[in-house]
Amino acid sequence: MIFQSPALPARICDYCHSTVKRIAEGVELAGEVAVLPFDVSPIQIGTRGEYAGMHFDVIGRIRLAYDQGAWNDWLCLFSDMTHGWLSESDGQFQMVRERPLSEIRSKLVGRLVAGDTVQIGERTQIDGAEFVVADARKATCVAAEGELPFAPETGWEVFNVDLRDAEGFSANFEAEEDEDPAFYMGRYVTLAELNPKNLRAIHGWKMPDYAA
Amino acid sequence: MPPEPPEDPPSSDDRPNPWGEASGEELVEAVTGATSERTVLPSESDSAPAAEQFNCPNCGGSIEIKAAGYSVSIVCQYCGSTLDITNPDVSIIQRYEGEVRKLELPLGSRGELRGVEWEVIGYQRRSENGSYPWDEYLLFNPYEGYRYLDTDGRGWSFGQQLTASPEKKSLLGFEVDGEFYEPFYAQTRAQVDYVLGEFYWRVEVGEEALTADFVRPGKMLSWERSAKETVWTLTELLEPNEITDAFGIEPPRGGGLPLPHQPSPYRKKAGQFMKLALAVGAALLIITALFGGTSDPQTTRINLATNGVEQMAKIGPITLERPRQAVTVSAQAPGIENSWVDLTYTLTNNDTGEIFEANNVVERYSGRDAEGNWSEGSSYTTSKFSMIPAGTYELNVYAAGSRWTGSQYGSSSNAQVEVTIEKGATFYSNLFLALLVVFIPALWQWWKHLSFESRRRSDSDFAGDDDD
Repeated sequence: MIFQSPALPARICDYCHSTVKRIAEGVELAGEVAVLPFDVSPIQIGTRGEYAGMHFDVIGRIRLAYDQGAWNDWLCLFSDMTHGWLSESDGQFQMVRERPLSEIRSKLVGRLVAGDTVQIGERTQIDGAEFVVADARKATCVAAEGELPFAPETGWEVFNVDLRDAEGFSANFEAEEDEDPAFYMGRYVTLAELNPKNLRAIHGWKMPDYAA
Repeated sequence: MPPEPPEDPPSSDDRPNPWGEASGEELVEAVTGATSERTVLPSESDSAPAAEQFNCPNCGGSIEIKAAGYSVSIVCQYCGSTLDITNPDVSIIQRYEGEVRKLELPLGSRGELRGVEWEVIGYQRRSENGSYPWDEYLLFNPYEGYRYLDTDGRGWSFGQQLTASPEKKSLLGFEVDGEFYEPFYAQTRAQVDYVLGEFYWRVEVGEEALTADFVRPGKMLSWERSAKETVWTLTELLEPNEITDAFGIEPPRGGGLPLPHQPSPYRKKAGQFMKLALAVGAALLIITALFGGTSDPQTTRINLATNGVEQMAKIGPITLERPRQAVTVSAQAPGIENSWVDLTYTLTNNDTGEIFEANNVVERYSGRDAEGNWSEGSSYTTSKFSMIPAGTYELNVYAAGSRWTGSQYGSSSNAQVEVTIEKGATFYSNLFLALLVVFIPALWQWWKHLSFESRRRSDSDFAGDDDD
């Protein structure tokens, strides 16, 4: 088993779906996650691309589901060994990277940190731009693959809030039980602008020119 | 591979009729426990499979899931039942048994639009409480995501859900990518009347959303708010041939009012014509100013009485050097009152004897009536000879003064007429006619453009003063 990112503690075995956790001197078995359901996502582990002038490799993925659908969060390892998440939902992509919550001076985000809920359509200022709450929902991790910054367990729940602004910038708030909440910021992207390579070939569909 | 229909195939009528009502027995039942397992269709190459397959737990028809991983519900294209596909076992949300509609763009058809291949995977017929129905097709490409194709019969529009939340730019309008969209339809309730195929949300007949639309030429920005989310969609009006080229269907039948986002077909022409007219008009003004104007005046005075007796005077000689040249003769009789002077000019070529003749009159009347003092006529008049051949000329002026008999004042009086001949002329009347000819087509195009815009806006909830 090969870990691509030295910083990440967990990897899911491609063959038996066991989660393997890194410990001081080697690895230990940390459970098992469900097999990923079939999907036609154009991304796969091994897809490469460019974002904000840096190369990245897709090295892991978690799949989250809620009563109205499901989405993929693809873990990207950047060339400077930092991480980002390429979130894929209903055929739309956003690339986000974690921002310390201490840096975010927004009343609305403060309320979220305090455990309040927010309404879709609520507005707030973050980094001088006006963001609007586009979505707020509780989702469950239904499957995972590859390397991850945590050892996922099937059935693990997360409260997720999506915000967006008028320019295509996006922000996500994530809270899990017994964990510190996390905040991510980035922007909506098209696959084409990521200049992707090694996209998944899907039967009967032409690989787009930008990925050839 | 095309899905196999179950034992009872859909209508064999092959004319698409998206507007027609589905006929046959309808039977809607509560959810039952029937489920069906999904299997991934094997790929024949080393690429990933593109679809999953299952048999409709209601009618047994073979259904493919084209957007596996995204799709949440499917309405069976054979029996119309709504199915939940979020779980490995497909279950029935709502059972339905009736004839399903034949779609103008059948599910599974593919076509290339704006350089990308799309597959039709879903269809909804929507309306405003049963009125103003439109068709909405859901298109999918795994590398490009989703698009919409809308039509209400007048034209097809190609739409994409926005990832940005548009910014309010004025009281009512919104801006996207620096382009302003003016309000067209105010907030209204839209409902789903009929649905077939697969969707990335839970579809349901009767589902309602609030909508509002904003337009600019060729594009529409639509706002839609449901209980769960707010969605902005940007649609572009397709050329009729684009939909024909992509899917091989008939171009839209058109007719009726223009579409809210239909660009005026006269706008460009009107602009071009107006630019041309302005350019030609400016050129004409310059030419008139350059080549107009007069020179070398010679004047004579004629003293006469207003008794009808003709007096004669000569001016000249005057030499015209250009092969063809205009000559202006002006007459001024500042002293006349309630009188007129008939003037006859003969311009005679001293060498050839050729004669050019013109007539004119100076007249001036005034008086007092119930409405007060009045006056009319002018004591100044000009005559223009055009295209006079080169040569040396003499002008004979014949002047005859007369007194207005309606005048209560005096009898015959003396008058003096001053006649001037000059080379050249400024034909302002010709310029006016030329400008009229040049501007009429431009104004006609503008009128057509404005009346198109007025018809386009007539359906808007925000039509201004120009509304009917």
